[in-house]
Amino acid sequence: MKRNLPLLLVFVFGVLGIIPFIIPHPAVQTTDEFLRNNLLKILAAFALILGLGSLLRVHMDKIRRKGQNWEYSWVLIGTFAITSIIGLFGGVSGTGILPTRIGNFAFDIWTIYFNVEVPLGAAMFALLSFFMASAAYRAFRARSAEATLLLTAAFIVMLGVLPLGNDISPHLPSFAQWIMDVPNVAGQRGILFGVALGMLATALKIILGIERSWLGGGGE
Amino acid sequence: MTMIDVLTKIDRRIIYLILFSVVTLPIIFPSARSVRVMPPVEKLYRAIDEIPEEKALIIDFDYDPQTLPEIEPMAFAILRHAFTKRIKVLAISLYVQPLGLAQNALVNVAEEFNTRASTQEDSIIYGRDYVFLGWQPPPLIPILGMGESITNVYKTDYHGNRTDTLPLMKEIKNYGDVGLLVSLSSGDPPKWWVEYAQNRFGLKVGAGITAVSASEFYPYLQTGQFSGLMVGMKGAAEYEEQVETELGIKVRRKASESLPSLTYAHVVIIIFIVIGNTGYFISRSKQRRSQ
Repeated sequence: MKRNLPLLLVFVFGVLGIIPFIIPHPAVQTTDEFLRNNLLKILAAFALILGLGSLLRVHMDKIRRKGQNWEYSWVLIGTFAITSIIGLFGGVSGTGILPTRIGNFAFDIWTIYFNVEVPLGAAMFALLSFFMASAAYRAFRARSAEATLLLTAAFIVMLGVLPLGNDISPHLPSFAQWIMDVPNVAGQRGILFGVALGMLATALKIILGIERSWLGGGGE
Repeated sequence: MTMIDVLTKIDRRIIYLILFSVVTLPIIFPSARSVRVMPPVEKLYRAIDEIPEEKALIIDFDYDPQTLPEIEPMAFAILRHAFTKRIKVLAISLYVQPLGLAQNALVNVAEEFNTRASTQEDSIIYGRDYVFLGWQPPPLIPILGMGESITNVYKTDYHGNRTDTLPLMKEIKNYGDVGLLVSLSSGDPPKWWVEYAQNRFGLKVGAGITAVSASEFYPYLQTGQFSGLMVGMKGAAEYEEQVETELGIKVRRKASESLPSLTYAHVVIIIFIVIGNTGYFISRSKQRRSQ
């Protein structure tokens, strides 16, 4: 029962998810609309609670076991608790029951978002450019004909997408665009077909109960 | 230290310092120059420009702080275009993180117009000219649900108002009343709009994406599933150029101002790759000679 019920649910709701794309009958469409607008929302709310609970449990465990960099888990739990309390009781822009301002110092969710999350997120991504530059210098070598071709295409696209490319030659941006439009699309389309067929096969295997690793315990 | 060492073993701190300098200097001394508008951006501009008066433009804000510098200028340029042409705008987010950024873009651009406006008619008014519907998880719900009824999916807007009481939402019921959806995203959402909303309801879709993910979106443009495409900072700068030349809107062009930083960074990376390869070829020919 413990295994069969989840398999049955996946089969029923998997099939219910496919049918509305094939049968336009109002009864089918209304059922689909009900499932999406009601059931899916409830499931999403449960998933959110499950996700947050799981995140906290992982970090609590890490602190208890004194795992690698366990001190950072306190930072996560602390910021999670603080922002949750401020968000739940202080409101997004400080309109809740909890005061979110001491003098000129505001600490509502809106202020935290724009003054902590935005700069931190931007800084983290900005650091990537330095690593990419260093990695490109060390690893991007014309070791073979294919690597040379890749390197040439990269130079053309890197210059062609900038105003400098147009200054060098008005044909360079068009050539860069051609590389993106033709050889790139050809490769991407092949990948897309492969991924789509793979997804279709995996989805069918899960719906039909052939693939059961998501239940836990491998593919048994 | 041999010549080969000099060429192949440059200290990474030197690379970081040079890159930092060439990126920051143009930001400290900003200057915007005109750029050549490429066909994908031109197509997107035309697709928005040709939205019929009775239809709306949906902007899906799906970028986060990490990709803000690339995609936010796109949002500003599109909003300026839409508000100038009096195109009705519905804004949504498929994720929670971009909500603040979306609200920021909407409020800033509406304010830009309202400071110049002299009458109620000239002003950009919330509820009449644009509505921010907010966030509704999971993404599949709004993507499919809005095809049937937008107010059914978003019962209240971002500010907590009942959507069925807003004047704009009385005119815009579902995708049948939407001329185009533009997904401004740093991930997969533009594909989801094509896979679900376009295939099932025939919704026209355009996209604004980060440069790093550009290659995987070009097939959608070639097939015509995307009505247009903006890629990275350059795409945003092209749209800014188009808005300035076609609509005469002269404001600060953030993406265009950032292009010099991007240009110098690309040139520095190319130079370092050339230096690295020069060292590699010299060492390889030396090895061959010694053998």
